[in-house]
This record gives sequence, structure tokens and C-alpha cells, in this order.
Amino acid sequence: MKIAVVGKGGAGKTTTSAVIARLLARQGRAVVALDGDTNPNLGLSLGVGFDETERAVAMRQALDDDATDDDHAPGWDELLDRFGSDGPDGVRYAVVSQIENPEPGCP
Amino acid sequence: MEPESRETDAAPGRLHVAFVGKGGAGKSAIAGTFARLLARSGEPVVVLDSDPMPGLALSLGLPVDDRGIPDEVVVERADGEDGPRFRLRPGLSAHDAVERYAVRAPDGVRFLQIGKLRGHVSSIVRSQHAFHQIKEELPRDRWHMIGDLPGGTRQPFLGWAGFADAIIVVVEASAKGILSGRRLAKLAGAVVDDDRVFAVASKTRAPGDAELVGERTGLTVVGEIPDDPALADAERRGVAPLDGAADGPGVRGIQSLLQSLQGVLV
Repeated sequence: MKIAVVGKGGAGKTTTSAVIARLLARQGRAVVALDGDTNPNLGLSLGVGFDETERAVAMRQALDDDATDDDHAPGWDELLDRFGSDGPDGVRYAVVSQIENPEPGCP
Repeated sequence: MEPESRETDAAPGRLHVAFVGKGGAGKSAIAGTFARLLARSGEPVVVLDSDPMPGLALSLGLPVDDRGIPDEVVVERADGEDGPRFRLRPGLSAHDAVERYAVRAPDGVRFLQIGKLRGHVSSIVRSQHAFHQIKEELPRDRWHMIGDLPGGTRQPFLGWAGFADAIIVVVEASAKGILSGRRLAKLAGAVVDDDRVFAVASKTRAPGDAELVGERTGLTVVGEIPDDPALADAERRGVAPLDGAADGPGVRGIQSLLQSLQGVLV
């Protein structure tokens, strides 16, 4: 099952996503929670804590900062292995958003 | 110290500020109310809305209306002329464009929208270019300029704050709010000097909330807007805070914010 949660800021996307992820994990399912928000706060709602959330975001950012044109983009498995962390109820958590991706089309 | 580019055109008595914040933090409610209170002085106030969400119109007390600057008055730049692809037609100044194409909001606020996406992206490119030009060229000694930026922490959004002498980060006193506020503080510091980035503590519920926002973001807190059920109810009904919750602690907090910013910046 693959679920994407969207909505206006402040509507409760992050909270909803985190609760769904942990409830599924409690049913014994293997769950990956991917934070694709450009303002990535999912770690807080999953319960990994403030510092771990900032660390996960910084690691994702470092991936972009270190990249050269020769690098191939990392695959999902590699991203999860290298940059994911284990959250409560066994949810595997990773930040996947490109935080400083330039906005196309803005003058 | 003011950034160098602003030293020659900084206008005594006029505010040029941009509000940023996490989605749902209260940016639009604060920016819209702030602009209306400021406009009650009788001085010209333009609100520059680059947020694609429609909240600000409602907070000003207007129906939602995504109109931007009409295509007819935006022309393609001639070959060999420097600058972006589109500009206001020759003879139309930024001041005139605001007088003609900004929507008139209650208390005399002029409400200028970037041009929001309803159809294909090409349909708003002209309006977006004109919006950009207007915020750069509007006479700063004449106009108060209040910006409402898109929610979230994407670095390109801060480009829309280039007109501002100060950036106000609206921070809800919660873990997510503070984490977002820290990101925005860092991004805003690249647009204006660090001592021109301020925090507003939003929806505070307990004594110490505003101090917490200041400590954790590292920003000077210039305002505290208490959690106000009447204001939240007005927002739910789509009524402007000044029309639905004028006597509540939320609007009083925004009034104090205005006085405090005028003290710091003017």
C-alpha cells in the first residue's frame, strides 16, 4: 500500500501521515515513512525527536551539497539504508525532499 | 545596520516588511490585519500577495479573487533591451499600476496579487513579471509595503521579500512551528541583515511561549499574538479578524506588533 498525504499548510498532513504510519507498523507491517515536504517536520510527529529530525534533514541536504554532475542519483534502497533511521513502532523514516530546489518559472 | 542598497532610498515613516512562516502559522491573518490597521493612519499601504493560497483576501475582508495584473498592460521587452522577458508597458509606472490594478480593500488598503494559477502556467507569467517589477520600482518614500509570502520554508520564496527592510517570521509556539521558524530565520538572514529578521510568536497559549520562540529561533520577538477563539472562529467563517474579532486579544496583539515595529524600524 502506498499513500501520499497532501493539504494546505497547517491542515494536519504531517500529523495524519505519522499516525497512519505508526498504526500500520503496529499491525506488523513493514512501513517506510518518507518526508517529501520542503518544510520537513515528519520526524517530530513520528516521535524521533527534535534533534534527530534536524539531523535527518541536514543529511538529506548534504546529499545535494556533495553531489557532482558525475554522480548518479541514489536509489530508494540506498537512500533508506544510508539516510533512514528507525523510529517508534519500527517505522523506517527518511527525509527525501529537495529542500532548496529552485522554483522554476519565478521571475 | 541597514543593507547598503537600502540606505539611499529608505523612507522615514514608511514600513517595508514581509511576513513569512509555516503554513497555518497565521501569516495571512496577521499580514492582512496589520495592513488594515496601518492604513487607518491615512497613509498609502499596498499589500503584496505572492502566496498562491487565497487566505489573505479573506483576512483583509475581501471575497477571494485571484486577479493579477492584466495581460494587456504587460509587454514583451524589446530585443537588445536588458531585463526580464516581460515588463509593464512603457508609460505605466509601478505607482499607476497599483492605483489601477490593485484591489481596493477595507480601510483603503491596496491589495496586489502576483497572479495565481488557475489554468496553464503560461497564463500567469506576464502578471508575475509585472508584480516583480512593481515591488522593485514602487516609490518607497510614498508607500508602506506589506508582503505576504507563500507558506513553508522553500528558499526561492524568500526572493519575493527583496523589497523588505525587515522580515517577520511568524512562529507558532510548537515543536513543528519552532523547527520551521529556525529554518526560516536562516533563510531570511540571507535576504536582509540578521538584525532585521524578527519573530512574532503566534497562537500563544501559555506564559513563556513567546520567550520559548525567541530562545529557540534566536530571533528578537517583536510581537505576541495570543491564541484567540474569536479570531479562529472568524477565520473559520471566512470573515476578516478586524470585522469578526476586532476587540479580541488576537487583534490587540497585532496592534501592539504594529506599534512595536514602528518603534524599531521607523
